[in-house]
Amino acid sequence: MKNIFRDPRKSLAAKLIIAIGLLMVVGSFIFWFSILHKQEKDIMSIAVNYGGSFIDYVKRRTSFSMLTDHRAVIQQTLEDISMAEGVERVRIFDHDGNISYSTDRPSVGSSVDRDTLACRGCHVEAKSDFQLLSERKTWSVYKDSLGFTALKLVEPIRNEITCYTSDCHVHPQEQKILGFIEADMSLALLDKAKFKQGLALTAYVLVFFLAISVALGIILWKIVSKPVTELTLGMGKVAEGDFNYSVPIKSMDEIGVLTSTFNSMIKDIKAARDQRELWTQTLEAEIAKQTEEIQKTHASLLQTEKLASLGRMAAGVAHEINNPLTGVVTFSHLMLQRVPPDSLDAEDLKVIIEQADRCSKIIRNLLTFSRATPSEKGEINVNNVLSRTIYMVKNQEKFHNIKFNTSIDDTQFISDGDPSQFQQICLNMFLNAADAMNGRGEITVATRKITENGKNYVETEFTDTGSGIKQEDMEKLFEPFFTTKPVDKGTGLGLSVSHGIVKHLGGEIKVSSTVGKGTSFFVRLPLKEQRT
Amino acid sequence: MKKILVIDDEHIVRVSCQRTLTPEGFEVIIASSGSEGLELLEKGPVDLVLLDLKMPDMDGVEVLNEIKAKWPDTNVMMVTGYSSVETAVKTLKLGALNYIEKPFTPETLLTAVNEVFKS
Ligand SMILES: Nc1ncnc2c1ncn2[C@@H]1O[C@H](COP(=O)(O)OP(=O)(O)OP(=O)(O)O)[C@@H](O)[C@H]1O
Ligand SMILES: [Mg+2]
Repeated sequence: MKNIFRDPRKSLAAKLIIAIGLLMVVGSFIFWFSILHKQEKDIMSIAVNYGGSFIDYVKRRTSFSMLTDHRAVIQQTLEDISMAEGVERVRIFDHDGNISYSTDRPSVGSSVDRDTLACRGCHVEAKSDFQLLSERKTWSVYKDSLGFTALKLVEPIRNEITCYTSDCHVHPQEQKILGFIEADMSLALLDKAKFKQGLALTAYVLVFFLAISVALGIILWKIVSKPVTELTLGMGKVAEGDFNYSVPIKSMDEIGVLTSTFNSMIKDIKAARDQRELWTQTLEAEIAKQTEEIQKTHASLLQTEKLASLGRMAAGVAHEINNPLTGVVTFSHLMLQRVPPDSLDAEDLKVIIEQADRCSKIIRNLLTFSRATPSEKGEINVNNVLSRTIYMVKNQEKFHNIKFNTSIDDTQFISDGDPSQFQQICLNMFLNAADAMNGRGEITVATRKITENGKNYVETEFTDTGSGIKQEDMEKLFEPFFTTKPVDKGTGLGLSVSHGIVKHLGGEIKVSSTVGKGTSFFVRLPLKEQRT
Repeated sequence: MKKILVIDDEHIVRVSCQRTLTPEGFEVIIASSGSEGLELLEKGPVDLVLLDLKMPDMDGVEVLNEIKAKWPDTNVMMVTGYSSVETAVKTLKLGALNYIEKPFTPETLLTAVNEVFKS
């Protein structure tokens, strides 16, 4: 309720109340004014009629005295008559304006104003401020000395036979108008009544206005202000970001419709915002994924480049070393033939030969690694190469206590590449597994077709029950010369060579490992065709 | 007595071959480059040429082609580093009998050489 009147310019209810109030006030004033006006006119005509008969009465009461020329009686009669309520003054004056008789005795003998109603009735053209009651009587309304309304009536006294034949011979026959009877009557009572009516009207309008205002205020507050305030509150909440807020709907009118429209709009906005947020999140995730992929690709490119340059260098060095190594091998063998077997010299020479062998093995691996590009183009029949390799290693002493679980059928997975290189990869996988299991455990080998990003691959799985790979070693696995094996057992080139070959063929190697449980390597090569 | 020509730019390889083969009853002559080897061949035929694949001025394949063009009946055995196995295989198609990889042991060399003369 308060806020309706807080600032009329900002309150719908206040505006309505003011407008309706103004209309009401104006309306009631017009209505009451016309009633009052009519009443006044009626009262006035009654007063004028009464005044007319009053003058007639004065005339009749004085006519005999006039004819008999009893002037004192006339004066006395006037004075008597003027005692009546509301009669202010009665005068009789002749055509020249000389007052012959008056209730105001001192003025007898003096003459009236030329401006007075009686004179103007005939002698002034502008007759606007007085009216003719009948043929003979003239009247006008004016304000008396106390400010009350007063009625002035004038009747001319015409010359009649009785007048100019009278004994007194006062009036000659030719004179038409002998004089005038003039009566002033106070209408103070009428004024008082009018004033009272005005007061009542004002009071009525004020009370009515107040009552209507209060009633309108309450109604407007209930059906307009309150719901609108609630709506505003809701909008504020929404503006602050609370999209779950819903404005209660309390009516079925336009405001109710507005509120429900607002609510559904907020629902839509919320849905749209949620959708957008979801998109943003998806986009962020997508960007993160892409970034990660780019970084991976970059790292792998770096790795490839590193490996390539290392390979070129290694190849050059290896070639040069092969020649002196030939000398070492040849001469130590020749010498071994000359010294007595089982001698200390023979033992020492065997060490030299062994170490030279190691050198040559390292060089072989290095050269394989540098030569990751298959110069022999061919076809790798994955299952075929695997079966052959398994058959080959099974007969080695190192694998006597290892059980092979193979699920390799007759399906022919064909991939482009050098079969001997693929065999080299498999061999290294088996050797690594055997090392990780200390020669005792199970190796599971399986092949399958997989599809990734619309491309087909043949995947070979090598799973062992060995020691597993520590998390910190995982990243270094494919680096050349990374090994955890004793110096004379591993060169750390097996996986890096395999990686190089597989990468070059367009495939990849994946690892998953649990320390203490085992390791799985997955070698993927692009699948050219599959024959069954 | 079988005559064997060793063509290799590396002194130690030449000496290794000499020291392995001479005691086994072979006559070994040596050349340190392809052109020198060809000059020696002009002077007289040999029973076997041990030819290094990778040499500075004229490489093994060129020398092999020349030998096979001029003396088609000459036996040639390639000596190669591991990295050029493919090339060595290619040379077999060009007429070489066999190849051995460096570093080789005396036994490997002898076995390969004896194999040539057996057939
Ligand atoms: N199946 C496996 N289980 C546990 N660790 C493994 C396995 N395969 C490889 N590794 C670890 O990865 C290292 C690198 O292997 P990689 O085959 O490259 O070299 P290597 O086997 O040590 O030497 P090389 O193969 O040159 O003889 C190994 O030393 C080992 O620590
Ligand atoms: Mg290995």
